[in-house]
Amino acid sequence: MIEFDHVTRTYGPKPAVTDLSLSIPRGELFALLGPNGAGKTTTIKMLVGLLRPSRGAVRICGYDLTKEARSAHLHTGYVPDEPTLYDKLTGREFLWFIADMFGMPRHIATQKIGREIEHFELAEFADDLTESYSLGMKQRLVFAAALLHDPDVLVLDEPMVGLDPRSVRIVKDLLRTRTQEGMTVFMSTHTLAMAEEMADRVGIMVRGQLRFLGTIAELRDHMALETTNLENLYLELTTSNPDRP
Amino acid sequence: MMGISGSGMSGRGPQSESCRLLSVDAESRVFSRLRTTIAWETLRSMLSGARLRLALVVLLSAVFWGSLYALFIEGFSFLESIHAEVISLLFNAFFSSLMIMLVFSTAILLYGNMYCSPEAKLLLTLPARAEAIFAHKFHEAMWFSSWGFILLGSPMLVAYGVVRGAPWTYYLLLLPFMVSFVVIPATFGAICCMAAVAWLGSLRMHALAIVGAVVCAGAAWLGWSLLGSSPAGGGSTEWFEQVLARLSVAEQKFLPSWWLSSGLLEAAQNSERPEARFASLSEAVKFMAVLVSNGMLLQLLARWLARSCFRQGCSQLVGEMPARRQRRIAWVDEFLSAAGTARGRPLRLLLVKDLRLFRRDIAQWSQFVIFFGLLGLYFFNLRVFNYNAAYASMISFLNLAVAGLILSTFTTRFVYPMISLEGRRFWILGLLPVHRDQILWSKFLFSFFGGLLPCCALLYLSDSMLGISRSLIWVHEVCCMVLCMGLSGIAVGLGALMPDLRESSPAKIAAGFGGTLCLVLSSLFIMLVVVIAATPTHLAMATRAFGGGGPPPTGFLGWASGPQGTATSLLVVGFLGVVATFLPLELGLRAFRRLEP
Repeated sequence: MIEFDHVTRTYGPKPAVTDLSLSIPRGELFALLGPNGAGKTTTIKMLVGLLRPSRGAVRICGYDLTKEARSAHLHTGYVPDEPTLYDKLTGREFLWFIADMFGMPRHIATQKIGREIEHFELAEFADDLTESYSLGMKQRLVFAAALLHDPDVLVLDEPMVGLDPRSVRIVKDLLRTRTQEGMTVFMSTHTLAMAEEMADRVGIMVRGQLRFLGTIAELRDHMALETTNLENLYLELTTSNPDRP
Repeated sequence: MMGISGSGMSGRGPQSESCRLLSVDAESRVFSRLRTTIAWETLRSMLSGARLRLALVVLLSAVFWGSLYALFIEGFSFLESIHAEVISLLFNAFFSSLMIMLVFSTAILLYGNMYCSPEAKLLLTLPARAEAIFAHKFHEAMWFSSWGFILLGSPMLVAYGVVRGAPWTYYLLLLPFMVSFVVIPATFGAICCMAAVAWLGSLRMHALAIVGAVVCAGAAWLGWSLLGSSPAGGGSTEWFEQVLARLSVAEQKFLPSWWLSSGLLEAAQNSERPEARFASLSEAVKFMAVLVSNGMLLQLLARWLARSCFRQGCSQLVGEMPARRQRRIAWVDEFLSAAGTARGRPLRLLLVKDLRLFRRDIAQWSQFVIFFGLLGLYFFNLRVFNYNAAYASMISFLNLAVAGLILSTFTTRFVYPMISLEGRRFWILGLLPVHRDQILWSKFLFSFFGGLLPCCALLYLSDSMLGISRSLIWVHEVCCMVLCMGLSGIAVGLGALMPDLRESSPAKIAAGFGGTLCLVLSSLFIMLVVVIAATPTHLAMATRAFGGGGPPPTGFLGWASGPQGTATSLLVVGFLGVVATFLPLELGLRAFRRLEP
């Protein structure tokens, strides 16, 4: 579903992501971890087509993001870290705009908009202008928009920021259900507990390079430490000598 | 790298049957629906929440349109009576100047809308064609850059039609002519913008600066050659003919401005013979066809360019490293931080902070420089004309009002929202050992001294060019100081009295009810100050003009037109200034002390 093929991205002379190769199959929830400035945001931006790789290729469902961006986007839903909405549209109008952009027939769009409004409990304010929404309400609407077309791949950048505990639970349940149905999730997060609870595999990035890729159990085995706490493993890995085997 | 274990690629995944890529037409319809919905909702919000602002905008636009129409009727009637051919030259000069401005304004607007806005980032992650996103953003940019042209051009062209007795077809063709003309420079600006982002990379700012400098130098040279270096006296017939001869430089047949001018002039022909009328109409339609076809060709080129390099340009911009700011501290910051007593230091530090924000906000200082620069250019050219004393005095007071009005737009747009914006960062200021009053006073001082220097200098330039007396220069300078003080007091006071702590855009804060009220009160204050200060001078002028060399007037008229009258008017102006400064400031201070962010 998602493939990074020897991807390098530089900002001027400075490399942000170096030779990233990564495949994520259908139905997997993958969490990308790493300290600030590790290259997570650059990786996400390349995955949603906002940045082009300096070298290598990024593919979603086999579509190259550089050459076939529209086809790749048809299969992708994206929840950015800062929700972008049109102030002068209501929540429902925004969902209709997204449905129209994905070419949904009217009867299907009506049904799916109703479904997402119900899932994310938007009914109470769906017909208000989004300029009056709180951050959490905006984030729920963006989730609804990203899932509206039943994407094969969902890309999440710090997805839980601004959500209240109930909304977090809704999102978690939804991600579990959708991944079981075959949706692939690529999530960048600083919330280690979330990654530990939800992710099938994690990737840990440090200074633009993927330092670890595998399950949490594999990470514990790999680090050969006494601790079983992900936070300690993460800190050990991200602060340790990169040459360590 | 360690522990990398891929799980294999599944190839092209199952595309949801409910989704499909849209055709070009369908995409265009979706964006058109989006624009219509947003426009409608914006209008509805204004009608429900900003009626005062909407009413003021409509009223002032109508007054502006009507005044321009009356002015153009007079102007065209005068020109028709002396030299009808002049009109073609004027049309060409007017439209070619507008054409250059439209190129720049569209390019700048499109750069912000297409490459730097969050909306563009959202659209780039949707399955939309790059050229459809371009077309959507281009519509917006073209509207914002050309509405001024429609507002300014329509009274002129309607007045021309009325003076010429143009047939009804002329009025029917006006709007299509204007729209088809606007598309050409706007699209050209869009092409320049996309090409600069795609191919000039980090050099685009330098390239833009060079082009801007060349255009400014060209405009200055043209202005000087038209007005400044004439051997004939300003305002004389010979001088006027020389100016017209030089204006012919704008009459180039390859320019869209010439096609527009020629088309309009043909459309306005009102011959008695039906064949001649039909021939003129045909010529006009031909010129419109030239405009439309060129506009369409440029649109095709722009869409091809968008398809080829819009996504690449966005990627390049997102990937650019932010410029590292030099740590060097400006001497003025250092001076302000160090000078004065320790007690006033927090206030001075707040001032330094606002000064730094101003310097680093290109929107603020560029508008400041452009508006005051243009005003300076106009004042500098005043000496071309020879005025009698009464006329010079009247113009000097009008210039005082203009300088005040420009300053009031700045205080409303930039100073009024300062407290609201500060409110969002109140957790920083709230924890500092600074009294809340000092925050407000720092804003007031920033606004007052920021406006005082350029306004006083510009008025001195205006008065010197008009050759008015030293005593009147002093009157103007005092009035200018009062205006700066009062306008700053109104903006800071109302800003603290009616803060909008949820809004992060200063433009939106200024556009709300408080901002509109600030602008209205500022305008009233300026009018009062100028009228009160001008009255004694003009009474003196009037008594001299109508007195016919007789004895000077006695009684109230004599008192009011003498030095006592001037002194009294200055006292009243000063009192007005104190009220306009301290009343809103006091109300603002009280509200700000109670503010709970």
